[in-house]
Amino acid sequence: MSKMYYRELYCGTPVRYWAGMALLGTIVAIALGAAFYMEHNGHWVTGMSNQIVWGLPHVFAIFLIVAASGALNVASIGSVFGGPMYKPLGRFSSLLAIGLLAGGLVVLLLDLGRPDRLIIAMTYYNFKSIFAWNIILYSGFFAIVGLYLWAMMDRKANRYYRPIGFAAFFWRLALTTGTGSIFGFLVAREAYDAAIMAPMFIIMSFSYGLAFFIITLIAAYMWGDRELGDLRLARLKNLLGVFVGAVLYFALVFNLTNLYVTQHHGVESFILLNGGVYTAMFWIGQVLIGGVIPLFLIYSPAFDKARWAIAAASMMVLIGGFFQIYVIVIGGQAFPMSVFPGKEVLESSFYDGTVGAYAPSLPEMLLGIGGIAIAMTMVAVGARMFKVFPESLEDPGESA
Amino acid sequence: MTQLALVIDLNVCVGCHACVTSCKEWNTSGWAGPLTDQRPYDADPTGVFFNRVQTYEAGVFPNTETYHFPKSCLHCEDPPCVPVCPTGASYKREDNGVVLVDYDKCIGCKYCSWACPYGVREFDEQQKVMKKCTLCIDRITDMSLPESERKPACVLACPTRARIYGDIHDPDSDVSVAIREQGGYPLQPEWGTKPSNHYLPRRKTRIQIHEDELVRVDNPLKKEALPTLPEAGETLDDVAW
Repeated sequence: MSKMYYRELYCGTPVRYWAGMALLGTIVAIALGAAFYMEHNGHWVTGMSNQIVWGLPHVFAIFLIVAASGALNVASIGSVFGGPMYKPLGRFSSLLAIGLLAGGLVVLLLDLGRPDRLIIAMTYYNFKSIFAWNIILYSGFFAIVGLYLWAMMDRKANRYYRPIGFAAFFWRLALTTGTGSIFGFLVAREAYDAAIMAPMFIIMSFSYGLAFFIITLIAAYMWGDRELGDLRLARLKNLLGVFVGAVLYFALVFNLTNLYVTQHHGVESFILLNGGVYTAMFWIGQVLIGGVIPLFLIYSPAFDKARWAIAAASMMVLIGGFFQIYVIVIGGQAFPMSVFPGKEVLESSFYDGTVGAYAPSLPEMLLGIGGIAIAMTMVAVGARMFKVFPESLEDPGESA
Repeated sequence: MTQLALVIDLNVCVGCHACVTSCKEWNTSGWAGPLTDQRPYDADPTGVFFNRVQTYEAGVFPNTETYHFPKSCLHCEDPPCVPVCPTGASYKREDNGVVLVDYDKCIGCKYCSWACPYGVREFDEQQKVMKKCTLCIDRITDMSLPESERKPACVLACPTRARIYGDIHDPDSDVSVAIREQGGYPLQPEWGTKPSNHYLPRRKTRIQIHEDELVRVDNPLKKEALPTLPEAGETLDDVAW
């Protein structure tokens, strides 16, 4: 096998790189403007209320954070599980993970009531709170993945490569367990309170992270006019298929378990049958767009090595994943809390017992999209500054 | 340990909202303020209210009944909103058991709102922190007030005395006696949160009377015979009683 050379990302002409950066910068600037608008006017200008307390920005943030830990998987396969085909992709995998997490956290932070109190969140810890644990897990993720990237890039640090790789792998599992447990530990609302939330979020992260990885890898190699072989993409594609199937399986088990519990029939029929937009998002968004169609694109012999099919499948996994998080976060809040068990509340002036109404506002959406742009900007800047991408990823044997 | 709480008598609550407005009045300008409103009066009200009266119709027509149900923070003995707070801004006072939010430590993440099974957390859009009923902590602990006024504003305002306030750990307090003797119950005890606030149920006073009990057996002068009805044809106006 020929020696692998890594090189900073230059996109042919400087205009091509800087035009891309300008586009991302514009989206980020609009997002920051939207955040300022919401901060200045209060959350009234959003669709959020005392019943739907987390809105669209949280969906974007959780989606990006979950995808971040999954994006690191490619590096983990290279170092922890010893996959030689994946090893050259490790650096980009780590950079993407850091970028996605940063993008998600910026959205999460800017959507807090008091983002100016970040220092309080970093200095006062209530260790009983899973939310506080997540703050530690997120900060630690940056540090460990940063070290991991260094161990991969610096020849002198190569001896730390495997131990740090293992540490990063276990940390990412802990991180997604923490994110899933934000919902798993919630007793008060019927849509949550399930131990399966943590492993389900882990498998969701595998799927979304890999889909993000494939999309950005193809995009970066097109942007930089570099060679990307079919063999590696085919490996990644097959792996994505396994993860997409696993996400569907977890969703099936989660809902089947709930259907078995009479107490949860209400929330299940809300999500699966008569929840209006949430039901549509579950069946059309999560299951069809995020599961069935990608599986068809991935496994159908008709699209064997078709790059567009791989890209389309990855994109659909991301769209479906977004809907899945939307249904989990917003759908679960919209379903009313059972304040009077066994009683049907016909009407209430203060929303008790009624389905919560939530319509995302434009600033919320702009802030969320800005999170993705921040992630991509960090990746683009990182790839330009560091030797992250192999000069060529053509299939072994081709260059010989 | 003292555990201050409210006991709300659903049998006498008439749904006048005096507790809502007095709460708003006291707390808007007090330690917990401002309780910012955007549309406090419209059909679709938004604003911060620590206490909300909800009106329900129970039963199936025609056997229906209207319930007025005031709901505020129940000051749980094991409050689920406290352990979830990442900065420890949500806390329970050790001296009197009142659950409070430290507005200087709250980062507005709203996770406590997810954790409260009773939905009593209220986000202040102007201060951008989470709020809730304080049991008028700045009033009940103010020793400069006469003891009769060291009570939550809603308790003082209630015209039907549907709200009783006191220490539920003191077996001789008004609240403990009311809970014990009048069937006081907490909201959703199955959560294990041990809400301190209790509700007294709607009560019907009925006695069983048999027909013969209405007629005197020894009625020698027949003085209690029923008045004879006027003959048919007369209208009510023709009758001189």
